[in-house]
Amino acid sequence: MANYVMVLDYKNCINCKACEIACKEENGVLLGADKHRIWVGSNNPKGEWPKLDIASAAFLPSQCQQCENAPCQDVCPTNATYYDKNGVVQVDSDKCILCSYCMVACPYDARYVDDRTTTVDKCTFCSDTRLARGEVTTACQNTCPTKVRTFGDIDDPDSEVSELLRTREHFSLKSNLGTKPKLFYLT
Amino acid sequence: MDVGISRRRFLKGSAALTVLGGGTIGLTPLLGNEEGDHEAAAVMTKTSTKEAKLVPTLCEMCVNKCAAIARVEDGVVVKLDPNPLFPKSKNMLCPRGNAGIQALYDPDRLKRPMIRTGEKGKGEFKEVSWEEAYDAILNGTDKFPGMAKILDEEEDNRSSFLFCAGEGMAEHTFKMFYEAFGSANWLNHASICLQTVASAYGVTMGAYPQADLENAEYVIMAGANRAEAIVTPDTMDIFKRTKGRGAKLICVDPRFTNTAAKADKWLGIKPGTDLAFVLALTYVTLDEELYNKEYVTNNFNDFDLYKEHILSSGYTPKWAAKITGLKESDIYEIAREFAAHAPRAIYYPGRRSTFSKNDFQLRRAMAIFQALSGGIDTKGGLVFGSKLPLGEHKGVVPMYYQARERAVNKNKQNDGYDHCVVVSGGGSWIAWRNRFLENVMPYKVRGAFIYKHNPMLNMPNTAKTAEMFKKMELVVAIDTMPSDTVMYADVVLPECTYLERTDPVFSFGGVEPAIAQRNKVIEPMYDTKPVNEILHGLTKKISKPLFEITKKHDMFLQDEITASESDLDENSTMTLAELSKQKEETMYADEFDLTKVFEHSQEEVNEHMVAEKHGEEAAKQIKEHGIFYPNMEKYYKQLGENKFQYYPENKKSYSVNGGVPKTPTKKIECNLANLASKGVDPMPTWRDEYNFKVPNGKFKLLTGRHAQFTQTGTSNNIALHDLIHTNYIWINEKVAKEQGIAFGDKVEVSSATGKTIIRAYPTEKIAPDTVFFVHGFGEESEKLTTAYKNGGCDNAVIEDNIEPVYGAAAMHETNVEIRKV
Repeated sequence: MANYVMVLDYKNCINCKACEIACKEENGVLLGADKHRIWVGSNNPKGEWPKLDIASAAFLPSQCQQCENAPCQDVCPTNATYYDKNGVVQVDSDKCILCSYCMVACPYDARYVDDRTTTVDKCTFCSDTRLARGEVTTACQNTCPTKVRTFGDIDDPDSEVSELLRTREHFSLKSNLGTKPKLFYLT
Repeated sequence: MDVGISRRRFLKGSAALTVLGGGTIGLTPLLGNEEGDHEAAAVMTKTSTKEAKLVPTLCEMCVNKCAAIARVEDGVVVKLDPNPLFPKSKNMLCPRGNAGIQALYDPDRLKRPMIRTGEKGKGEFKEVSWEEAYDAILNGTDKFPGMAKILDEEEDNRSSFLFCAGEGMAEHTFKMFYEAFGSANWLNHASICLQTVASAYGVTMGAYPQADLENAEYVIMAGANRAEAIVTPDTMDIFKRTKGRGAKLICVDPRFTNTAAKADKWLGIKPGTDLAFVLALTYVTLDEELYNKEYVTNNFNDFDLYKEHILSSGYTPKWAAKITGLKESDIYEIAREFAAHAPRAIYYPGRRSTFSKNDFQLRRAMAIFQALSGGIDTKGGLVFGSKLPLGEHKGVVPMYYQARERAVNKNKQNDGYDHCVVVSGGGSWIAWRNRFLENVMPYKVRGAFIYKHNPMLNMPNTAKTAEMFKKMELVVAIDTMPSDTVMYADVVLPECTYLERTDPVFSFGGVEPAIAQRNKVIEPMYDTKPVNEILHGLTKKISKPLFEITKKHDMFLQDEITASESDLDENSTMTLAELSKQKEETMYADEFDLTKVFEHSQEEVNEHMVAEKHGEEAAKQIKEHGIFYPNMEKYYKQLGENKFQYYPENKKSYSVNGGVPKTPTKKIECNLANLASKGVDPMPTWRDEYNFKVPNGKFKLLTGRHAQFTQTGTSNNIALHDLIHTNYIWINEKVAKEQGIAFGDKVEVSSATGKTIIRAYPTEKIAPDTVFFVHGFGEESEKLTTAYKNGGCDNAVIEDNIEPVYGAAAMHETNVEIRKV
């Protein structure tokens, strides 16, 4: 039993997309831009050459927010989407009927159709692969060249994520929606 | 703060950046139809909870050689993870490192030896056995002559064969073959890579240093793009600390790169004018006496001369502002801030191709500017680092009296050579090729061995390279992929990929030195072999017959192996003929047996090389863990999820020489007087011809890198294609609008050299008189399913301008026209 969260020092991100490939290889996510559990958002800098706005050109790594109050779970008519014992939002592919309510409900656009399992799939914090093998972190965290992510149990006060969140200012995405995301972005 | 990037917006945004299929311009042929997608899906892996074999190895998806651990389930490599033990790569694998699995399981791989059956360059081959391939190399076929015929006709001039290789751990193995063969014509990637930067730092401070970006407080990164052209550990060290988090990063680049996006300040300089920028920084440093006087007094040669030169030449920020397009005040500010942070301030040396003809002078000026701050061989500055020793792997280097020296011509006007002043070990590829085509070689070169190298696409003027290979009578290519260059081969020898072989063990110098080894993860697939086994087989075939040719043409050898009466002692029962035969056999075995170089497996050689210097335990450790350095088990600690200790702080090699330069004089060389007689400026000097000029209606073409591909080596990798499907030409938005060019439109890019077709990416990230696209696309080999005719080929357009000192290819000296098609 744990309460897994991810803390992102997102200013480290250089948009190299190592996390995207690591995730696909680890979890067998099919190729294709519309099939991904993890992504890096990017904006072109505002302004005109050569007066370009560096601050507007940030890279924004993201993935399923593993909401404590997940809208995708709320709307699922077959209870295919559920919370596991570690607080990770999971999908039971046997129950999923591809109704795609969850895709519409998710404010973070984190769900996608996996053609191999015919499931509306999502990031699982590598639960059935790495964590199931007893490893302590996710593929995206592990591979990242600039070490954007820290993964861990927020219920453990001695964990690195707990320490980071106690000491560094942070925010979460669309927190006004009351979804209580478990991805925290450090400022 | 707006950080909510939705999937839909992401797709739209990415399309604008990279076109991830879908959306904006519709599915490209590459992304293809559903069928194509399913094919792609078949090669994606997934890990499981099954028992797995974990093998420590080293990545070969680019030059960095980061440490990886391969996870093998049921004999299949399902995942590559970073190996945390390596201080150079500090527990990371970039996207290419992760995509290494697709290099292994690429269905287009070279699978069996092949010999040419059709017209040269058409890619018509038949698959043969290894023995048949070796025989074709020695004896030829009805399509091409063999090595024996060529060498006999050239009277055993071993230099009638060219040897060329790309960068890699086994380049060493191939080079041993070149040395044993006895040619003097060795060309490698240096002259299309970092020749001028490495050499200019070498002659100025005695070494091509590393940068301690982990501890620097102020970094000028000009013409280097570490967010996209990833170098370990530099990329990992710097971007965790920019944006007010410990290091101020100044990015100077004619493009707004990802490095610019992560910098604290970005200056969009005019291409090719960095030298003026550095000279002006130097001017301020000298004029305002911001330099480290003690360091300069102790460690400089000709400082006063250089100071006088810079000040009297009037290299003021005002002067430089006109040339570079930068603001005078920015130049002042950067010079002063740099000095204030010294010695924890770095003008980053970079690691890239030569862009401008003045690159040697630029690098010299950068090295001297850095040295003025005293930030040499010191924490937070440029560092020499230390390197762990390795035992030797001895080769065979026979004396061939008939072998001629390297095919270069002395220059009649000065002390240098035609095309360049200095001929380095790696030679000048582009000048060599042009001399070959112009028939001005001192002798005939008729054959070429190519290892892991793609000259067709890696050097300016593709058309000329094709002509060279067509003229070359016997071309042997050793590679893993059917590249454009392989299409011009007469004999193709398929190497296995890096995950199927153990490569020569390597010592990585630096602040935290270590020895690392690429261990074989799985047995070679198909009928492929590692290069040392390929060369073992080949030398078994050719060694004796080639010795016969030497014997025929080499009078000195004949003398040495012919017995005379005086050789016979009284009690000998041998005849003269028998004694001669014995002498010949001994001579062959001792000096001409080329097979000896490759008789031991790579594993055996590595074990010996490590054990000789560090003991048996070390050899065992490197096999088991991939990494070794003394006291590793005591020093190495994982301090947090993202934090590792490799060496305790007081054991790190920040300073190994007390700050003293490594030149023979132990001084920073400001003035290289010996170069003056060869027509090279002895001190960095700005010349009018360096000014940025583009005729109306044309654009300066820039090329470069990004994080998802490595040159042409990864062009067929399907997982990387999933990230970036093709390359795009950056055109300033306003210019594109004027010309009616929209995102995704096809444009033709042309120069005096040639043309290429590529899709457009209008952006404000580039100046109106400049265009850019990434290198490594536009392959013409039909055997590369994914890469074939995908995107634009820069070297089809880039003119073959030669940098005058080392003969490097100057990649950013071409003006192009663009036209919507």
